Amino acid sequence: MSEQVSRRDFLKLAGLGAATTAVLTGCGPASRYVVREPYQQMPEYNLVGQSTYYATTCRECAAGCGLVVRTYQGRAIKVEGNPNHPLNLGKTCARGQATLHGLYNPDRVTDPIMKNARGGFAGTNINWDDAVQAVADALKNNQPNEIAFLIGTASDHVFDLLTDLAKTTGVNAPIRFGAMNMLESRATLSKAAENLFGQAGMPWFDVANAQTVFSFGANFLETWLSPLSYTRGFANFRKATTTKLRGQMVQFEARMSATGAKADEWVSLRPGTEALVALAIGRLVAEKKGIAVPRIFSGVEPLEVAAQAGVKLEALEHLAERFASTNSVAIPGGPALGQSNGLAVAEAVLALNALVNNFGKEGGVYLSALAPNQSEYHRPASAQEMQAFVERMKSGGIKVLFVHGVNPVFETPNSLGFKEALSNVGQVISFAVFPDETALEADYVLPDHHGLEGWGYQRVGTGVSLPVLSGAQPVVSPYYNTRSTVDVFIAAAKLAGGKFANALPYADEVEFLQNKISALRGEAGGSFSAIDDETFMATFQQFGGWWKNTNALLAPDSASVLNQSIKTQVKDAEFAGEGEFFFVPFVSPTLGEAGANKPWLQELPDPTTTVMWTTWIEINPETAHHLHVENDEVVKVISEAGEIEVPVYIYPAIRPDTVAIPFGQGHTAYGRYAENRGVNPFDLLGKHFNEAGDLAFAGMKVRIEKTGKTQPVSRNESRMGVYGEDLGEEH
Amino acid sequence: MLKKIFNWLMQPIGLIAVGIVFLSVFSAAVYGISLTQQTPPQPIEFPHQTHVQFGIQCLYCHPGAAKGPAAGIPSQAKCWACHNQIEKTGTSELLAPLKNAVLSGESIQWVPVAIVPDFVQFNHRAHVAAGKNCEDCHGDMSKVNIAINPQVMNMGWCLNCHIETAGEDEEKLIKLTDCGTCHY
Amino acid sequence: MTTLADLKISEVKLAAEEGGKWGMVIDQDICTGCQACVAACAMENNIPFVGEEDSGYGRAMHWIRIERFWQGEYPEVKMTNQQPMMCQQCGSAPCEPVCPAFATVHSQAEELNLQVYNRCVGTRYCANNCPYQVRTFNWRDYERPEPLPNQFNPDVTVRRRGVMEKCTFCIQRIHQANHKAKAEGRELMDGEFTTACAQACPSNAITFGRVDKKDTQVYQMMHHGQSHGKKHLEELGTLPNITYLNGGGA
Repeated sequence: MSEQVSRRDFLKLAGLGAATTAVLTGCGPASRYVVREPYQQMPEYNLVGQSTYYATTCRECAAGCGLVVRTYQGRAIKVEGNPNHPLNLGKTCARGQATLHGLYNPDRVTDPIMKNARGGFAGTNINWDDAVQAVADALKNNQPNEIAFLIGTASDHVFDLLTDLAKTTGVNAPIRFGAMNMLESRATLSKAAENLFGQAGMPWFDVANAQTVFSFGANFLETWLSPLSYTRGFANFRKATTTKLRGQMVQFEARMSATGAKADEWVSLRPGTEALVALAIGRLVAEKKGIAVPRIFSGVEPLEVAAQAGVKLEALEHLAERFASTNSVAIPGGPALGQSNGLAVAEAVLALNALVNNFGKEGGVYLSALAPNQSEYHRPASAQEMQAFVERMKSGGIKVLFVHGVNPVFETPNSLGFKEALSNVGQVISFAVFPDETALEADYVLPDHHGLEGWGYQRVGTGVSLPVLSGAQPVVSPYYNTRSTVDVFIAAAKLAGGKFANALPYADEVEFLQNKISALRGEAGGSFSAIDDETFMATFQQFGGWWKNTNALLAPDSASVLNQSIKTQVKDAEFAGEGEFFFVPFVSPTLGEAGANKPWLQELPDPTTTVMWTTWIEINPETAHHLHVENDEVVKVISEAGEIEVPVYIYPAIRPDTVAIPFGQGHTAYGRYAENRGVNPFDLLGKHFNEAGDLAFAGMKVRIEKTGKTQPVSRNESRMGVYGEDLGEEH
Repeated sequence: MLKKIFNWLMQPIGLIAVGIVFLSVFSAAVYGISLTQQTPPQPIEFPHQTHVQFGIQCLYCHPGAAKGPAAGIPSQAKCWACHNQIEKTGTSELLAPLKNAVLSGESIQWVPVAIVPDFVQFNHRAHVAAGKNCEDCHGDMSKVNIAINPQVMNMGWCLNCHIETAGEDEEKLIKLTDCGTCHY
Repeated sequence: MTTLADLKISEVKLAAEEGGKWGMVIDQDICTGCQACVAACAMENNIPFVGEEDSGYGRAMHWIRIERFWQGEYPEVKMTNQQPMMCQQCGSAPCEPVCPAFATVHSQAEELNLQVYNRCVGTRYCANNCPYQVRTFNWRDYERPEPLPNQFNPDVTVRRRGVMEKCTFCIQRIHQANHKAKAEGRELMDGEFTTACAQACPSNAITFGRVDKKDTQVYQMMHHGQSHGKKHLEELGTLPNITYLNGGGA
């Protein structure tokens, strides 16, 4: 055997030789073996080796900022703000930047799937003809009032298409919903406007021109309503110029938010006393000004309020002086509205503005402009309306549910019972781009294009004085076998025939959009005009939208506000549950409701705690000391609705009787970067609403138990020293 | 054990085996290295020569050179614009791969010849703007079919030319020999 | 007091007088810490994400980070103004002399601190010597599963394991703008381009531009007004090129 070199040995030797070759040539130009594929047909407006830029609209939240996306050889490389877009003037937030990690996410839904069973993604990849047939059958074979559509918060072209469908065929009107609009308490804001001004709408606060801002929990520098617009306003408010001093900001909240961190004065109130404090300040302001205390403020006694809220009377007096003496504006928002008396908070804080007479004035309160093709304010569904919808599903009243642009199984608290109710819905068809929790529970997943691959438009709801319709167009061709949901509905309506075909008489999505947009062509005072519809549509896409050039903010009527009593009596806020801690869920400023599957958003440090990649619970150092818990120790948080286990982050800027958990993580599906990471604080929320129908998400009490486990929390701050021991603090 | 192997290796047959091993490793290595120095095979035996002789400018097919970092490879549609006429004459077998690619919609997999490693940010435009002609780096295309690299494109070669170009101009020299001009 | 800068050779003095070529002014008073700059930087510069475990070890690759410090205790607790921290592009950089491979060198043409990836052998001396702690090291070949690499910026090298990296002031954009201006036969204008972070910043807290010309916005902001401007750790003689403003606050 060993006397000769066998063939096998020779092969081994040859292998060794090849390995040596590989090692030696490793030093050579390995990329020589790269191949380059030219285009079959060079796309129009593309030049070899040069970037092409396309204007579109960001779909990461409902604000509707304009983007310009740099593409290179058919790939989207970088998102930049559209400098001409009136809402964001060329700026972007972190979530807008990371939208490319959604487009090129390794866990997208690649093909239409007919699933074997709910609760998993196993199924058959079907072709789009069969998919469209399935949608057509669902439309045709059910009673119209048993067909429902659930879509995202944004008022966009999908909403318009489905509204058109509902108008003539009798199917249910589409329900717009998202966790963000629930946590922003949009229903409460518009209800308060309606109660006080007699006109529903989204209030808009002109921070830029104010001299003093009192924010009652509003997290307007993070995710609230239109963060880029409010951040720009804040920057202008802060800068001293020759004509104005540097603006001063006071934030009232139990847990210091990233917005509160920018305040000059942070007032930590006992949760639930925001309305009383606002009214007490109003009363003190009136007294300072020497005017008769208006009726709306007359029912409170500042001394009592101070004791209840846990602040000193002198502090309230000093704040009242501050508010009375300058060009002030008061903003209600965030957890303050998510109390059982949230509507009273909104009304009390808006009334403060009436006292300083800033309605419809620079630096004051307006109602947001309506978008160009919008006749009245239409708000997304409140949590209570979702609850009613869930009841309908439970009772078997919904046979077919179409879901697009929202992930309700994740974005509603378990206590609402959305997931369970789905089992009473005969057919669930999801148009999800990513394999999210709702798609998991669907029978068909018919993936829409990613926002950067699709056409569309979106109304800008608030944040800008002009009426703006933001335009969206594909910046790259679709990467996977996806199809626009609008195209699917148009095709399915044709197949279903009859009234459905009549309701959507369009050849495709682009024709539908052109039909909708061309109405604007005749309007005067627009950002551009065109000689015909095709040119108008092309220009609309090129500029990233169409807007009017005149300020269309509505000035609310302030005459009667101060003479009202608050319609919903200021009851003490009620807190559900037995625990000793007030519970504040807040939106993760970096993740929002749908950012968890974008790896770079996961790796962005939270602005206040610098935590990355997971969920944490914020506990005051003193409380942590009493509970004998330390950083990274996992505790069990128990409410009447459920319990979760979450590691501790000892947070110096939170009331000792309050704990806070960010919302954004805790996915059970949604791709590799989101799945089984962190926890969802919604699991702790009970089924309680405020008077306007918004969820009383900040109206819970929780209990904390030690578990004996630890989970190291990745934080960015460890490398720069905690509490300023290291860099930067020289004094 | 080791001793046993050593003893076996000291026999004549063992020495021959060692020799064979050495030779085969050596020759495989030489062959491997020579592979890296050869012009790689291209999907189409593209005759640059012919095209240049017809008077087609470099920039007609590689317009990116004047505008940006990459000169670019023309799209198949561009080739076919002329060649669908020529193909009808049936005079060239070399056109078959192009025709197949166009008809089947598949991409032609060209192998780049003149390349720099990916940590070098080379920009054609700056060189064209500085008055360099294509043939200064890529050689005379009127003499070759498939493009060949007339020189080893390493850093010494780049720097030689940069230094030469700068001449006595010190500011230019600083700019042209700065690491950050090419590496970022 | 004699600072280090006084002891340096004449070249550095020259640089000090000139004050570099590119610079940045950051207004901490209006920075909201929103992380848009961090995300924009990552997207522009092909920065890898490292995952939960490695970021827990402090290996996250942020070229720019937002620092914040706490003052006082509850209820008188206050967060100091957010402080975006990135490579200060020092005129006399402590990272440069310690590199045994000459991988981190000073660009005389653009007056920036360069990191030459193909020279770097990963000693990490530079990171240890950086008083601002802004250099990040590729501890691994961080995975970016397909099709994420489609998003890579072709103008920036994709770094591999064992290489140090840091903020470059978006040198690829500097070059691109230079090339464009040159091809069009004109001077580069102020504000013609900006870095990814400044471009994204929702509150416009970051301003980038030439500091060696008096008519630029950055120069005006540095030398104008109540002179709240401050350069970090200037007393070390690093001659940083980023000026921090603190508005009227903090």
